[in-house]
Amino acid sequence: MNAIEIENLSKYYGKLRALNSMSLEVPEGTIYGLVGPNGSGKTTLIKVLVGSLHPNSGFIKVLGLDPLKDKWKLRKQIGYMPQSPALYDDLSARNNIMFFGKAQNVPDLKKKADEILSFAELTSRANDMVGTFSGGMKKRVSLCCALIHNPRIIFLDEPTAAVDPHLKMQSWILFRKLAQSGVTIFISTHQMDEAMLCDKVTILRNGEILAVDTPQNILQRGKTNLKISVNNEEKVSTIDSTPKSLADELKKYGLEKNITSVELHSSNIEDIILSIVHEKEKEEKS
Amino acid sequence: MTHTFIIAQRVLSQLKGDRRFLALSIFAPLLIIYFLKLMFDTFPSFVDVKSNTIPISAFIVHFLSFILCAVLLVQERTRGTLERMMIGGFSKTSIIGGYSLGYFGLATLQAITVLTESIWLFNLSYDTKTVVLLFIVIWLLAIVSVMLGIFISTFAKHEAHVFPFIPLIILPSVFLTGLIIKPDGLPIWAVIIGKCLPLHYAVNIIHEIVKPEYKIIDTLVDFGVLTGYIFGLLGLASLTLKETE
Repeated sequence: MNAIEIENLSKYYGKLRALNSMSLEVPEGTIYGLVGPNGSGKTTLIKVLVGSLHPNSGFIKVLGLDPLKDKWKLRKQIGYMPQSPALYDDLSARNNIMFFGKAQNVPDLKKKADEILSFAELTSRANDMVGTFSGGMKKRVSLCCALIHNPRIIFLDEPTAAVDPHLKMQSWILFRKLAQSGVTIFISTHQMDEAMLCDKVTILRNGEILAVDTPQNILQRGKTNLKISVNNEEKVSTIDSTPKSLADELKKYGLEKNITSVELHSSNIEDIILSIVHEKEKEEKS
Repeated sequence: MTHTFIIAQRVLSQLKGDRRFLALSIFAPLLIIYFLKLMFDTFPSFVDVKSNTIPISAFIVHFLSFILCAVLLVQERTRGTLERMMIGGFSKTSIIGGYSLGYFGLATLQAITVLTESIWLFNLSYDTKTVVLLFIVIWLLAIVSVMLGIFISTFAKHEAHVFPFIPLIILPSVFLTGLIIKPDGLPIWAVIIGKCLPLHYAVNIIHEIVKPEYKIIDTLVDFGVLTGYIFGLLGLASLTLKETE
């Protein structure tokens, strides 16, 4: 079953076309990424789906419900984390989470709030005013508010912007766990490493869908520049970014014929910094 | 109804946490009334300043309650918490109700402190019944101001949008409602505008209450109109506060 169905969705701000005849389907239990530059329509699409914006035309169903006509039924089942933290600076992290939990009549709210604060590694700051928190910490509290009522679908508008790499990784582990338990995650990002962690990705530009595919398939549309030195002579070639193409190219330089694919996985700068931090933490603990 | 109380509780804990705001809401009117006393002390003794003291004090509460409530509710919009509350399951009725209920406490505190200071500072000798009635009028006006603030905030996208409403709604009250001079000599259209402003009815009641021959029946209509403003503005705010843009 599809968690989200959109057909010919359009939204205008005056003369500006924010979403243009957009159609897409999001299967239940998947992590669905919305990727695109600023102003591409990511936030507008999320706001239309949560029932905060009126579309100009088109058909929308979220969990089989109309976001405007069935808003009360739907709002019980969705979690929403906006781009800005949208929290009360004069309330503690715990009280912010409890406030949004009360709106959804969450049973055993105090226990649930403690659990979620622990997940976000905020237990030690639970009773501090949110106004004293860093941008990344506010994002964490905001995520907790979106998750407090165990929603069936979660809309996350750039949830890990300004979050440190460690918590970003932790968040993605949680997103994956939630998806495995059947929760649909609809996430907007402009970070390509995050797009790679989604099950499916839609690329947006100026309110139009440019591509819908798995991140792996999208990656294979790219090209790889290969630079090989033979007897100090540099040979440069451009190949498709697929494991098969790489194997075929390397065969020209003597790779055994029975090797049909070659993949390289190098650490990026974020992985390297994370491993240095983890090593130091291990050292300090021991 | 539960949601209304949840929001009211949040508004109150937010007010408690924001000491600067709380101090401004309570001490600013007191300071302004003290400045008023300093100014009235310079007037010749034959000028009757006492009859204007309570109406001006009521106006100060009216002005500050309006602006503080409007700005705080607009902040909810600019911070994104208003949108989040609505998507999170709070209805607009519970948001308006919760805000009103939360500010009832502040309005009560403002009415008590302003009236106490005015009576003490200007050495006004009223009996208990008159003081209680004066408190009720200032309190009602404070609630009207909160409702007006909530209503006006629905037209503002950010805090600066609230300020143009001050010369439009609040300042005409100073000149057209009988606060400084009786509106009898004003052109008819100005009298009509004055009668559209809630301060007109509050000032009317205050002027009547302090008369020795005062009977409550003489001001029932004015009390009714003032109370009507509360429900009217509440209804208008419910209509203009949008759940969906």
